[in-house]
Amino acid sequence: MNFNRRLFALGLAFFCSFSLVPFAQAQQDNLIDTIKKRGKLQVGFASFVPWAMRDKQGNWVGFEIDVSNKVAQDLGVRLELIPTAWDAIIPSLIAGKFDVIIGGLTITPQRQEQVDFTTPYSTSGQGVAASKQLAANLKWPEGYNSPNVTFTCRRGVAGCKTVEEKWPKATLRQFDDDAIAFQEVINGNAHAVISSEPKPSFFAIRHSDKLFKPTNENIVNTFEGFGLRKGNPAGLAGFNDWINKNQAWLKQRHQYWFRTQDWAGLVPSI
Amino acid sequence: MYIEGRRVGVENALIPARAAPPPASRLAWNRLDLLWVVVGVALLGAGMLKSQGAFSYRWDWSSVWPYFVKTDSLTGQWAPNLLLQGLMTTLRLALWGMLMATLVGLIMGWMRNHARLLFRMVASGYVMTVRNIPPVVFVFIFVYFISNQFMPLLALDQRVNALPVEVQSFLSVLFGPMELINNFFLGLVCLSVFSGAYVTEIVRAGLNSVPRGQAEAARSLGMTNLDIMIRVVWPQALRNVLPSLTGQFIQLIKDSSLVSLVSIQELSFMAQDVQVSTQRVFEVFVLTAVIYFFICFSLSQVFAHLERRHGREH
Amino acid sequence: MSEPVPARQPPPSPPAVWHRRAGWDVFQFAILVVLFMALAFHGATQMGYQWKWDRVPRYLWRVIDGEWIWGPLLTGLWVTLDLAWKSTLLALVLGALAAWMRQVPSHVGRAIAWSYVELIRNTPLLVQILVCYFILAPTLDLGREVTGVVCLALYEGAFAAEIIRGALQAVPKGQSEAALSLGMSPRFTQQDIIWPQALPLMLPPLAGVLVNLVKHSAIVSVIAIFDLTAQARTIIADTFMAFEIWLTTAALYLCITLCLSWVVGRIEKSFHRPKW
Repeated sequence: MNFNRRLFALGLAFFCSFSLVPFAQAQQDNLIDTIKKRGKLQVGFASFVPWAMRDKQGNWVGFEIDVSNKVAQDLGVRLELIPTAWDAIIPSLIAGKFDVIIGGLTITPQRQEQVDFTTPYSTSGQGVAASKQLAANLKWPEGYNSPNVTFTCRRGVAGCKTVEEKWPKATLRQFDDDAIAFQEVINGNAHAVISSEPKPSFFAIRHSDKLFKPTNENIVNTFEGFGLRKGNPAGLAGFNDWINKNQAWLKQRHQYWFRTQDWAGLVPSI
Repeated sequence: MYIEGRRVGVENALIPARAAPPPASRLAWNRLDLLWVVVGVALLGAGMLKSQGAFSYRWDWSSVWPYFVKTDSLTGQWAPNLLLQGLMTTLRLALWGMLMATLVGLIMGWMRNHARLLFRMVASGYVMTVRNIPPVVFVFIFVYFISNQFMPLLALDQRVNALPVEVQSFLSVLFGPMELINNFFLGLVCLSVFSGAYVTEIVRAGLNSVPRGQAEAARSLGMTNLDIMIRVVWPQALRNVLPSLTGQFIQLIKDSSLVSLVSIQELSFMAQDVQVSTQRVFEVFVLTAVIYFFICFSLSQVFAHLERRHGREH
Repeated sequence: MSEPVPARQPPPSPPAVWHRRAGWDVFQFAILVVLFMALAFHGATQMGYQWKWDRVPRYLWRVIDGEWIWGPLLTGLWVTLDLAWKSTLLALVLGALAAWMRQVPSHVGRAIAWSYVELIRNTPLLVQILVCYFILAPTLDLGREVTGVVCLALYEGAFAAEIIRGALQAVPKGQSEAALSLGMSPRFTQQDIIWPQALPLMLPPLAGVLVNLVKHSAIVSVIAIFDLTAQARTIIADTFMAFEIWLTTAALYLCITLCLSWVVGRIEKSFHRPKW
């Protein structure tokens, strides 16, 4: 009986000790200072061609990787890349698994409730690639607004909301990954896929026998920013500062990754 | 003369009516085999006819194999690439996960059979909760809800960075690359808590399988409770359920594929990555399935062999 | 003569002691659970998470203009259950087939059944469903839901095969020998003697297969079947209410599996035959 009582008291004390330890999450000091003190910048992102992808050697390459490398270099710290499932990227940021999201995070009002965005560092658009087999006879864009039409998207991208707003009657299937969403349309299981440019264009060219672009304009023009936890205005100002100083470099990098295919030799087949 | 249809000599006439059991019938290759082969080929043929163009798929293993083992661009040597690294992580997760799960299972299994209702309720609450929600949902809840409570407290990456380089390289053999230590540890704890529930049930079955007389005899000999547990009951219990524990180890290797859904970088996660990068769906998934099969099957055969040998000694 | 032995006080009757202790233990357990939940919620709030429990009910059901509309979570639950019963039936068929093939007098037949069971048992379900969806489905031109049903059925069918085989082997061999020696044909032996004795042995574990299937059906969310887990992940991606939705989803799954387990327990009890 004594032993059990001691065990119970021990267990209770163990649990209570957790509530006494100050949680380091709700920090109000400057994020940039914290990063510099730690000596490491932790960046959350997801694999998205050509924002971030694996090359033949297994290293991460892409527009976001270049940006993250430069930010870390300019801050004088090491870079730690933390690939995360896209639909969990904002909860992971809030949970403190990394400092900042540099991963093509489109600025949307819903996301602004959860995270703080910096000024835009790149601009992109959403595009649609449609299946020749299923959607060749559909009128753009009204024909797509029917329950028989299936759109696919990657879970968590801003394009999913766009489909819900512009084509509310269509069925939307969400996948863990962009490539799978595109594969659905290529296989003829869905009518169209929405994704960030230049992916729909790339895929429409590469699979021109199965895919086509119903329109060459962007459905929606989007801006991307770094995502930071709320409540850190000093950190936000620091990152905004960096973006403003490096606008020319950002434009040049964006041009390289998005408008040219010069990097195609690095990765296997895209 | 004939006994049981076999011709035997007169000297064997004293053999009683049922001398020895008839030899185990050795199955001969017969027409049924031919029938099954025909059925199999017919099904395959029907499948090929129904599929249009699937077998005109251009298999291209050369683009997938470099993701298993690569020639490192810097050193020019053979180096493990993504898939092999993922495999190493899976194996590490399985080994350490099994150790931790056994620890959890031992404690909870002891509580499950305890005299006090409180301990029984805690243990059975844990087991019922974990075993009755889908593994996928458990992984998500654990990683995004529970782990946030204690992972920041541990601050593993900071502690690890404070260690000397030699210690770090030693640890990286055991636990994988040090920059992924948080990631790895999260997957490890998740799998341990999940498997711990199943190990608890196995341990409980083991404890129940030891006859009560053992504990009673030990107590009547004057042994303390702790001694009885450590020296009499538990060795017997664990020996009895060793087959189930090895089965759970193999199950853990398969369950580790679930943590790929939360970006823990093990084999299934790397397979998805490689599939996205190379667009070679068939090859990558077939290769991954073959790797898992090879590992689990060989382990199960090894364990079965060990059990047979061990069983024969008794 | 010795004095009469004085009457002793009887010890307190055990049930009263048990009830006092049990009540105290239950109370302590309740305290522990409350403490655990409080810690978890407190920790989440510390991270800056805003709890929005009031927004959860709309994902369960809504009443619009007097019309009752099921929310996405409950529609997903319906899809899960639908998937589960179809897969169970197919799994039972596959399992019976594989169990039968294990004992046909043919090497090839036995090899096919054995390799099916070993293949399924040694690969993870996630890899199996991805293989089914990306390789088998385009090859055989199967739809998404059919692929999910087939994959789950293949997976649980292997376990069902082992259960059925074990139950058939548990029937004493003397039964079939006696039946054959009485002149019954092998077919009627199986039909009238073996299977009726094997069925009570195999039904409880097979009902457990149904419970397992409901749990494992969560994996079909990766191929975008609108089951409960997929709906939960979509809602979370839209609204970022990760904790509330996951806890609600887990509670829904717990409800279903606990109910099913209870039903299985009742079936098991009803199969308890009196010993001859």
